[in-house]
Amino acid sequence: MMATDTFGARFDRTQRRAFILGIAALILAVLDGLRAPEQFFRSYLLAFVFWLGFPLGCAAFLMVHHLTGGFWGLPIRRPLEAGTRTLPLLTALALPLLLGLSRLYSWTHSDLVAADAALKFKQPYLNLPFFLIRNVIYFAVWWTLVRRLNRWSDEQDRTGDPLLAARLENMSGPGLLLYGFTVTFFSIDWIMSLEPHWFSTIFGMIFMVLQVLGALALAILVAGLLSQREPVASAVTPDRFNDLGNLVLTFVMLWAYLAFCQFLIIWAGDLIQEIPWYVTRAQGGWAIVALVMIFLSFATPFYLLLMRPIKRSVQTLATLCGALIVINFLNVYWMVVPAFEKSGPRFYLLDLLLPMGMGGIWVATFLRQLKSRPLLPLHDPRFEGALEHAD
Amino acid sequence: MESDPLERGAEISQPRVIEPGYTISTVTDKISSIVLGQRTRPGWFLGFGASFLLLLILLYAVTVLFAIGVGIWGVNIPVGWGFAIVNFIWWIGIGHAGTLISAILLLLHQKWRTSINRTAEAMTIFAVLCAGMFPVLHLGRPWLAYWLFPYPNTMWYWPQFRSPLVWDVFAVSTYLTVSLLFWFVGLIPDLATLRDRARTRAKQIVYGFLAMGWRGSAVHWKRYEMASLLLAGLATPLVISVHTVVSFDFAIAILPGWHTTIFPPYFVAGAIYSGFAMVLCLAIPLRKFYGLEDFITMRHLDNMGKIMLATGLIVAYGYMMEAFMAFYGADIYERYVTLNRMVGPYAAVYWSLIALNIVIPQALWSRRVRTSVGALFAVALIVNCGMWLERFVIVVISLHRDFMPSIWLMYAPTRWDWMTLLGSIGLFLTLLFLFIRYLPMISIFEMRSLVTETEGERT
Repeated sequence: MMATDTFGARFDRTQRRAFILGIAALILAVLDGLRAPEQFFRSYLLAFVFWLGFPLGCAAFLMVHHLTGGFWGLPIRRPLEAGTRTLPLLTALALPLLLGLSRLYSWTHSDLVAADAALKFKQPYLNLPFFLIRNVIYFAVWWTLVRRLNRWSDEQDRTGDPLLAARLENMSGPGLLLYGFTVTFFSIDWIMSLEPHWFSTIFGMIFMVLQVLGALALAILVAGLLSQREPVASAVTPDRFNDLGNLVLTFVMLWAYLAFCQFLIIWAGDLIQEIPWYVTRAQGGWAIVALVMIFLSFATPFYLLLMRPIKRSVQTLATLCGALIVINFLNVYWMVVPAFEKSGPRFYLLDLLLPMGMGGIWVATFLRQLKSRPLLPLHDPRFEGALEHAD
Repeated sequence: MESDPLERGAEISQPRVIEPGYTISTVTDKISSIVLGQRTRPGWFLGFGASFLLLLILLYAVTVLFAIGVGIWGVNIPVGWGFAIVNFIWWIGIGHAGTLISAILLLLHQKWRTSINRTAEAMTIFAVLCAGMFPVLHLGRPWLAYWLFPYPNTMWYWPQFRSPLVWDVFAVSTYLTVSLLFWFVGLIPDLATLRDRARTRAKQIVYGFLAMGWRGSAVHWKRYEMASLLLAGLATPLVISVHTVVSFDFAIAILPGWHTTIFPPYFVAGAIYSGFAMVLCLAIPLRKFYGLEDFITMRHLDNMGKIMLATGLIVAYGYMMEAFMAFYGADIYERYVTLNRMVGPYAAVYWSLIALNIVIPQALWSRRVRTSVGALFAVALIVNCGMWLERFVIVVISLHRDFMPSIWLMYAPTRWDWMTLLGSIGLFLTLLFLFIRYLPMISIFEMRSLVTETEGERT
């Protein structure tokens, strides 16, 4: 607990500022939204999808670590766990969206559905009651996973019972399965169905990789920021950051691979049901966004992360991860917004206010969760000896 | 050696990657004696003989094929890609585990790979050879196979670079080259060991020639380590790219059942799945017959079982997404293909695939199955069959009923198809038997360093 004491003041200050900023941005957003409710919900969806990625991605990556082990998990374990504990906040933030479903999704309008054969065919899946039931299931599954991951880890800290590590490992296999299943259908329900004629079987995978990449970047950024003081300072070694950097590189490549495969197959097929999604996203202003993404989401981080000095330097890797989080937002923006703005990106204040507002509250919640527990896991047998010899 | 699952949690100790009691010299003795031992074991002759008989069947089938033409196979319009392409994908998928074990696990510092990587790499090369044979046989005029390569010619005539079939040529040939190099480079220090230990002049000359003047100096080792690392780095993107390109052979087309975006990752996962199944199918008998249980331990088998389970689940995810999108996509042709798979004339094949590839391998969740040699072998064999069926489902069922009902036709393989498939297994096994007789099937020098490293280890 010594660590939180040293850090305490700074934690509190940042938490307070983030919260005030968040609330202020949200109030402004609501005021602006009263004027343009249509745009309010669009921006809200964008912000929600982006921020929800963190608790879910954190949970997924935490389970990957429980399955595989490795000392690289030591400095990021607590940031990941704190990330998962922001799920209740995002559950609450999901509720206002329910008021805007009819403004966002054309399949909620019975007249549009009746006039369109394809939408009519999809109605057994794309209808409001089933949509709500599915989402209740998703959130229930995520709550269960997050609860278990955190409760057992907390118990491990307090009791030091070595059986808990095995229990966490055993839940992680099925847990990842559940994560994959629910997040895939979440992405279909909330994003793919914005353009209800479009479909792609790889889409869920791309979405999952984005979430995990964002969560990993966040955890490394936080570990980097905390590494200036004990106890995290002795848990962060160049070797571990090298490993973490390689993991980021892997996910950057995985994203590029999946995104490119989807593009190539749809481009080559050039079929009327599939190609419009890319036609919108590769024309006008969106083409510029797409090109920027190729460079910022893939080429630049790929090139930088090949270099060992960059991965081994805590500050550099943490900065790069911070940049990746911003780029992740651009990625979500390019996936979601063209569904509404066919001709190109347009600047709306709400696209800024809502992600910022939600982000402020999210950061405050995250920090509150982070400081509520020791910054390093205390009794995980997997990390036995990890602090003894700084390699 | 094996701890109870409950106990396991208490100590988080895993079975060893090498059993205790070995020294550097006993490891060397044990592995090199298999190659240099004067007497060839009768079991080897039996296995080699049986494989060679199968290889003769292949030679016969191919001779007849060359004499008469692809008309002896079951292929016809609309099913123009029959067994040849099914076998091609199956074999090339099997090859992937070798590269995965030797390259990716090397980059991930996974020490347990050491005792299985040599055999797995050899398996890769033999599997790619078997695979590469099929498209060439399928050409109809295999003597014109060089037309697949872009070479300057008087007619200024180039292959269609937009066709994934041309990408295949590059992907597979690059893959074979790099795998071969990787394997050979990995063998050099061991070939030198064999050279030094060989007692007959002929062996000394052959192994000495292949060892390329290896003296084991510090400079040699330094360059050697660097070369291995670079080759591993090269092989890693290749192993992903090969099966990705193979999946493009289908997905780039617009045929329902082929054109779907999940194909690349799901093909790669399927390849690794079948590859690990094949490694298990080979490693389990080998460790038994040559008494290598101390080197290829339960830890290896358990880990491979876990990787199979994980990749198998990705494959299952692929099936699920395909089936779901067939309906969600609201495309009548996609829907028909899916229904035709499930309840059409080939429904038995489809459901066998689901049973063999998805349902039965779920047994791998159980630690007891993963640590029982017999059960693991059975599951691995089942997965190999399942993955072959998967390729049959993709290739044949999508083709036999396409957009125009007037040309719908059933596909049935002829005996020549079966003989070629069986024969290719013969080719694979023949090469493998030669390999285990004449080259060290476990990397001697890497096992030596493992002995030194594990000496002080807690586990």
